Amino acid sequence: MGDFLEGLPSYNESNFTRFHADSSHRSSKPTVYISTKDYPSEQVITTEKTSILLRYLHQQWDKKNTSKKRDSQKANLSEAATEGGSSSKVARVNSTDSS
Amino acid sequence: MAYNYVVTAHKPTSVSNGVTGHFTSPSDLNLIIAKNTRIEIYVVTPEGLRPIKEIMIYGKIAVIELFRPPGETKDLLFLLTHRYNAMTLECQMDGENIEIITRAHGNVQDQIGRPSETGIIGIIDPECRVIGLRLYDGLFKVFQLEKENRELKAFSIRMEELIVIDMAFLYGCQTPTVAFIHQDQSGRHVKTYEISLRDKDFQKGPWKQDNVETMASMLIPIPEPFGGTVIIGEESITYHNGFNYIAIAPPQIKLSPINCYGKVDANGSRYLLGNFSGDLFMLILEKEERMDGTVTVKDLKVETLGVTTIPEKILYLDNGVVFLGSHVGDSQLVKLNSKRDSSGSYVQVMETFTNLGPILDMVVVDLERQGQGQLVTCSGAVKEGSLRIIRNGIGINEHASIDLPGIKGIWPLRVNSEKYDNMMVMSFVGQSRVLQLSGEEVEETELPGFDGDNQTFVCNNVSFNQILQITQASMRLIQCSPPSLAAEWKHPKGKNISLACCNNTQVVIAAGSELFYFKIEDGKVSLKSNTTVEHEVACLDIGPVEGGSESSSLLAVGLWTDISARLFRLPDFESLHVEMLGGEIIPRSILMATFEGVQYLLCALGDGSLFYFILDVKTGYLSEKKKVTLGTQPTMLRTFRSLSTTNVFACSDRPTVIYSSNHKLVFSNVNLKEVNHMCPLNSDGYPDSLALSNDTTLMIGTIDEIQKLHIRTIPLRESPRRIAYQEPTQTFGVISCRVDSGERNLPGFEPLPPPASLTALNTSTATSKLLPSGGGGSAGGEQAVSEEQEIYSLLILRQSTFEVLHAHTLLPGECTTSLISATLGEDPTPYYIVGTAIVSPEEAEPKSGRIIVFHYNEGKLTMVAEKEIKGAAYSMVPFNGKLLASVNSTVRLFEWTSEKELRLECSHFNNILALYLKSKGDFVLVADLMKSITLLGYKHMQDAFEEIARDCNVKFMTAIEILDDDNFIGADNSYNLFVCQKDSAATTDEERSQMQEVGLYHLGEFVNVFRHGSLVMHHAGENTIPVQGSVLFGTTNGAVGMVAQLPQEFYNFLFEVQNRLSKVIKSVGKVQHSFWRSFYTEQKRDASTGFIDGDLLESFLDLSRDKMQEVVQGLQMDDGDMKRDATVDDLVKTIEELTRIH
Repeated sequence: MGDFLEGLPSYNESNFTRFHADSSHRSSKPTVYISTKDYPSEQVITTEKTSILLRYLHQQWDKKNTSKKRDSQKANLSEAATEGGSSSKVARVNSTDSS
Repeated sequence: MAYNYVVTAHKPTSVSNGVTGHFTSPSDLNLIIAKNTRIEIYVVTPEGLRPIKEIMIYGKIAVIELFRPPGETKDLLFLLTHRYNAMTLECQMDGENIEIITRAHGNVQDQIGRPSETGIIGIIDPECRVIGLRLYDGLFKVFQLEKENRELKAFSIRMEELIVIDMAFLYGCQTPTVAFIHQDQSGRHVKTYEISLRDKDFQKGPWKQDNVETMASMLIPIPEPFGGTVIIGEESITYHNGFNYIAIAPPQIKLSPINCYGKVDANGSRYLLGNFSGDLFMLILEKEERMDGTVTVKDLKVETLGVTTIPEKILYLDNGVVFLGSHVGDSQLVKLNSKRDSSGSYVQVMETFTNLGPILDMVVVDLERQGQGQLVTCSGAVKEGSLRIIRNGIGINEHASIDLPGIKGIWPLRVNSEKYDNMMVMSFVGQSRVLQLSGEEVEETELPGFDGDNQTFVCNNVSFNQILQITQASMRLIQCSPPSLAAEWKHPKGKNISLACCNNTQVVIAAGSELFYFKIEDGKVSLKSNTTVEHEVACLDIGPVEGGSESSSLLAVGLWTDISARLFRLPDFESLHVEMLGGEIIPRSILMATFEGVQYLLCALGDGSLFYFILDVKTGYLSEKKKVTLGTQPTMLRTFRSLSTTNVFACSDRPTVIYSSNHKLVFSNVNLKEVNHMCPLNSDGYPDSLALSNDTTLMIGTIDEIQKLHIRTIPLRESPRRIAYQEPTQTFGVISCRVDSGERNLPGFEPLPPPASLTALNTSTATSKLLPSGGGGSAGGEQAVSEEQEIYSLLILRQSTFEVLHAHTLLPGECTTSLISATLGEDPTPYYIVGTAIVSPEEAEPKSGRIIVFHYNEGKLTMVAEKEIKGAAYSMVPFNGKLLASVNSTVRLFEWTSEKELRLECSHFNNILALYLKSKGDFVLVADLMKSITLLGYKHMQDAFEEIARDCNVKFMTAIEILDDDNFIGADNSYNLFVCQKDSAATTDEERSQMQEVGLYHLGEFVNVFRHGSLVMHHAGENTIPVQGSVLFGTTNGAVGMVAQLPQEFYNFLFEVQNRLSKVIKSVGKVQHSFWRSFYTEQKRDASTGFIDGDLLESFLDLSRDKMQEVVQGLQMDDGDMKRDATVDDLVKTIEELTRIH
């Protein structure tokens, strides 16, 4: 019986070896962390505001029209196209706020 | 008043989630648990769990995951709040201090989208390429964890599958691949999708499986080398990876649905499973090694390990030790043993962590009549159901008591004993006695050399293995081996000694206004100096106060007549400092003590008040004078040590323990009525104990862990739902619910103890003339073996012992919804009144129910009356001698006739479901399921209710309370608090009929109950802060909070402080405080108003001095009639006082 409980993983063999049941109320509550230092955040998480339907329609439209409308598309949207795939180009007009 | 102060008195305790990993350093093994809005970080050590920090998050934590992106040496923490603030956090250790660095943060809320009913799911790809979030039905949000990009842009993918039950990323996939269980009309299915980051879309996944078990609820992704998933259902467990499909249906998992799992081995060969009955199982994936070297799953096995708390989260730590985080019971640290114990269990509980949640109901009572309230809560559920008694202060557990009147002093002695005290000296008027302590036995003994014919002032072990006894007549030095008198000193002019104090090596004796200073030597005491002070000495103390020193160069003295506290330098009585205490009450006890490395002088007066100062040991200078009121009688101060810290016991009519926390002195009441004298005692029979005496008794007991709120648990082993207190019968009534599911005993394991309703001293079963279903005698639960059914009982518990005196089982299918204790009409009998509903699965709303009136008297519960109602009696309140009940959508008033029957007097109809009622005078506050609150007025002449005003906003209500005649507080199911005000002075009827929302606040806790009352004693004139009223609330997560009212000017001042603090204190994850506290429902978001965040305010006291200064800079405060600049000390004082109101 209980073979399935043999060889339980051990990260540090000494962990819990000096645990005493009667001193259990020793494990007091952790103190509260309060930070007054301002660390600049490396990265900002944003969420795309485009509705997925619009994105889908653009994707379809792009697929169909990649060849014949390429020129006009470039002309209209060149200043907005700074990054990413072509699918979200038009959408970005709708998503000026990022918070 | 519409200005409120809301503060947490007891932080949430229920564990909602948790993770293990290496967060604080690459080598530390951490346990991180989420308790609603807070996370607690522990490190695993040989001694057990060591707490590191608690971190407040400005949001309810919905997702917590550790992950390690390539190139990192330790794990990062990903958190997502219920209001969609996402953050990745890094921990930097700097010695003992930690800093939490917000590496990335942002809000991922969508403008549209329906929040999923199955909750927020957040998962991280095992290779840390992407994080996936299922926030809204039909959408899956993904963002890439790119190191280089300044902006992590999340995008949504449309999901055809609307109802997603569980979701996980698969291990060992070239592209991030999700597997999930979803539900449609034909059942539940498992599907996989690859995420194409380029197309921002799903691609067909490697496999899918239609029609898995209809109740499949959990998907466990299995690491390499197996890969694939385990699907947990109610009756079966399935392994599936596309081509290998193994299903088993072990009988033991059918007992109760499995609700959580925890990975044991890194390679995924063993998992722990927990269910809602607290059974712990191990799932074993047996492997098969193929000829080609690949490894596959051959078979699945489930073994039962034992019964534990009901876990919400299972976290394997190390060496067979597992943390079980619970939402409905205490959390546990357990050890898995490979051998069964005597009851058949492989599980051994190592440590228990108290959890009050979920608090469904509570009452505030003052059982000991000390003017201090205590809370009794209905906490936990199912087998973890219990009552919790919560009181501010410290508990003393009595181990022995002796009837001994007239004790004037007690001291422990160690006579030829190495480790333990073996004698105790007691002083009486005109005599003294020595007690011998052998084991737990106590008997009177003789100590040669001891003077038993005088009252003893001081008796202590001193250096050179001697005992010093100072009586009215003389000072006696007694040597221990063999015990005999070594030396004696009497006043040279034969005057009586009036007071004395000593430490190990020094003695000071006072006779009137004369002071004599001695050193203790081997076999003698030598007089070093003497002096005469201006007035008679009232109290004195010689410490020692300098750290680790055996002797003291300081003497503290309190004097009669000029009411002063003075410090002298020994040996020459050089006066260092004179502090006039003012007033006419003489100091009775003075004490120098060191708390957390800071020296204090405490001086207690004859009226129970206490002054305390910071003491500079070098100069004897006193500063930072403060005053508190502890009791009303002369107070004696004594030091003792508990958990290796110094504490002071203040003996008085309201005994208090003084200790230091975060470098602030805390005054905590003790659960004893009166203590005149105390001394620490450490004998072999009573280790680490205290001896305490009052006018009649000597008591020996141990002190509880020092904490502000003391919690006692009364296990019921079934779910408590409602509680009421009945003072005349000294009982509590409790509505509880148990589930009779027939035999659920596991072979090889001892059965669980039965629930309280089956073990009461007396039992009875409901009969009803009104309802036909009252025929069944299902109380024993014998016939219905297979069918699970909920059985409700009314329990009567004795107030003093919480013993269940009577259990009354209600009708089968009768669900009890409300309980009050009240007297009705002219009838002086106290009744327990129970409101019920007959629940049938076919009906959307109950169509019938009962109101039942019970009387408990001398061990007998009798049904006095019953009244049939057309629905559920959701809430009841006593109303001017009548009974007011909300029955489905109506509010109904019942009169108590002289025939002892309930007669309907009048009704009010204008609700969808009238869930909660509160009354004050002729006013009734009604809370609707979704239509917020309405105020009704009772018209005596017409016997009718009129609607006075209502809040016209949509709010799904969870609790209400009347603050005063004009202000009403409510809590809704979006975790908000609000205050509505009726405007009687408005000019038009329409304006008067609409309540104004004058207070809005996001609490982040689900409030189930409000009660007027306070957990602390209020002393007149002690507080200078103008706070009024006190309403306590209890929440689902086990938090207890308090709302009090502030005058406008004080509110404005605190609001200014709050604004400044929210700038100085940087929130983890960069969530703005104003965002966090803004009122938020699915329909609207409004800035917080009318509430001060007491939790933020109190954190001021934990700031460093220079940061405090930054907060105070330029802050104006009202000082009588002038405005002036506030100082740090002003604000510390104000906020310290605010911490004492809860």
